[in-house]
Amino acid sequence: MRQAILPIALLAVLAALTLTCASVRSAEAPAELGTDLMQAIDDSNKSLSSNIALKDAKASASDARDINQDFVQVEAFFAARPDAHDAVDLARKTRDLTDLIVRSVGGGNFDAAADSATELSRTCRTCHTFYKKS
Amino acid sequence: MSTHSRRDFLAQSGLYAGGAALGTLLPGLGLQSAMASEIVDPLAPKQPHFTPKVKSVIWLHQNGAPSTIDLYDYKPQLHKLAGQDVPASFLKGIKTSTQGGVGKLWVAPSRTFKQYGESGAYFSNLLPNLAEHADKLAFIKSSVTVGATHDISILKLNTGDLNPGRPSLGAWIVYALGSANPDLPPYVVLYDGNREPSAGSQNWNSGFLPAVYQGVAFRPGNSPILYLDGPAARAAQQQRASLDLLKRLNGFGEARYPSDTELRARVKSYDLADRMQTAAPAAVDLGKETLATKALYGIDDEVSGGYGETLLRARRLVERGVRFVQVVTGDAPSPKGGERLSWDAHDDLEVNHALKARQVDRPIAGLLTDLKARGLLDTTLVVWTSEFSRTSYGQSGNGRDHNPWGYTQWLAGGGVKAGTTYGETDEIGLQTADKDKAVDTYDLTATVLQLLGLDHLKTTFLNNGRSERPTVVYGRVVKEVLDV
Repeated sequence: MRQAILPIALLAVLAALTLTCASVRSAEAPAELGTDLMQAIDDSNKSLSSNIALKDAKASASDARDINQDFVQVEAFFAARPDAHDAVDLARKTRDLTDLIVRSVGGGNFDAAADSATELSRTCRTCHTFYKKS
Repeated sequence: MSTHSRRDFLAQSGLYAGGAALGTLLPGLGLQSAMASEIVDPLAPKQPHFTPKVKSVIWLHQNGAPSTIDLYDYKPQLHKLAGQDVPASFLKGIKTSTQGGVGKLWVAPSRTFKQYGESGAYFSNLLPNLAEHADKLAFIKSSVTVGATHDISILKLNTGDLNPGRPSLGAWIVYALGSANPDLPPYVVLYDGNREPSAGSQNWNSGFLPAVYQGVAFRPGNSPILYLDGPAARAAQQQRASLDLLKRLNGFGEARYPSDTELRARVKSYDLADRMQTAAPAAVDLGKETLATKALYGIDDEVSGGYGETLLRARRLVERGVRFVQVVTGDAPSPKGGERLSWDAHDDLEVNHALKARQVDRPIAGLLTDLKARGLLDTTLVVWTSEFSRTSYGQSGNGRDHNPWGYTQWLAGGGVKAGTTYGETDEIGLQTADKDKAVDTYDLTATVLQLLGLDHLKTTFLNNGRSERPTVVYGRVVKEVLDV
């Protein structure tokens, strides 16, 4: 019995460690917000808008989750700067909106999801007004 | 990004003919291929999403970017601080790239402002005629955009993108609503002056929408469309006989191949061209307009005459059911001779704006008066817009640079909350004061569509498997300027 439990327990500990590391890595503040990340967000956002219009709940939720994960990095980047409280708030707002979108499409409310996605896009623009470098 | 199965892709690409046909009838569903236009008339009238407030739009693009702090946006603090450096707090969050550096705050020596109408809206001494219509206008004084070069920002204003390829607003409207007059193009572009607007048809193209929805540019004068006039040596009767013969021959083909939708579409386009040959010149012929009407539009003045004719033509077109009339101000003749002038006053703003204001003031005031008198103002939306505006700090000593951070546009007509102002700029008129009230070009687009009975989120088209809309991923209806 003991022999059977040990590998399972080890496996569980290993899995927990892996998850923790991944979580720490994703929340680490990147030195730069590269164009690749911003392009990925832009692509996901356009895809999200399209999938909501097409009433594809699964694809919409997937896009929203992708954006949410990308904004973990954005939030961490700005949180490490002393003068970017607005940007941190905007990143958090964006993540909240992605959560809202996942809930809306899950409940079949695509009109609400479209409104949230548009609000999310506006939030991006607001942030770019002050923090985009070029 | 999400991936779809091949079946999803085919279905969403509209490659099922039934879906494509249905998509043509229902803008909300979208369509992809030209097959739909072969099955049904792509310009057939379509139902809006909700009851429209207006039938037509006259889009007055002030090409070159007028300084709205010299026209509508009175800033006492700017007048007070003129001659001083711009306080750093006003420059926060913006990236200036003014050639020669940011100049001192500047006010044109002759500039004065007065309040007009019950609304008390301010107008400068440059617009005495338009000022009399203060209570018909709803100002948006918190407009913003992406300011790069004129061509790029004009493209964004008209299509929602900084690169060519997306449909213009007029094209979306015609796609969604169809035509209200089968004898005329539903989307017409007008300009005065002797050359086509900069960047040309990129600003009225249909992008990924079928080409049938693009704007048709009418040249100034009585021969609006190139090659529309019949050959001079050919009598009208000869042409009639020739077209009738062509129609009969095509009729044989149609009877023999009833499922040949391409042939039917071609016959339809021949018919339209035939009808347009009569209808289009008549629509822009000002011969039957009275001298009083012409004077109302400033046609008797050498500076405003060309623009006045253009706006009178715009009225005649909306009277005939044209959905979207995009009017671009042409360059006015410089009083010093030589180069003609757009609103782009990097230097000598006093001279430039005095001339440009004279070019448009009486014509626009005349248009509003005329539309109102004919009962057309209730069913028409007039939009005064530009690609961006100009800085409150000076450039070259007596000019102003581009300002995409805060400027004024206005709406008038059906469904508009007349006599109101939404948003404001900061105390020197450089940036939008409250960023939450910023109105980007996408928001203006969403608002125009709303007045036409269209939900911008549901006006969609399937392009390469992706659902596209006029406002890209943005857009907020500015309800504060709507009479709801």
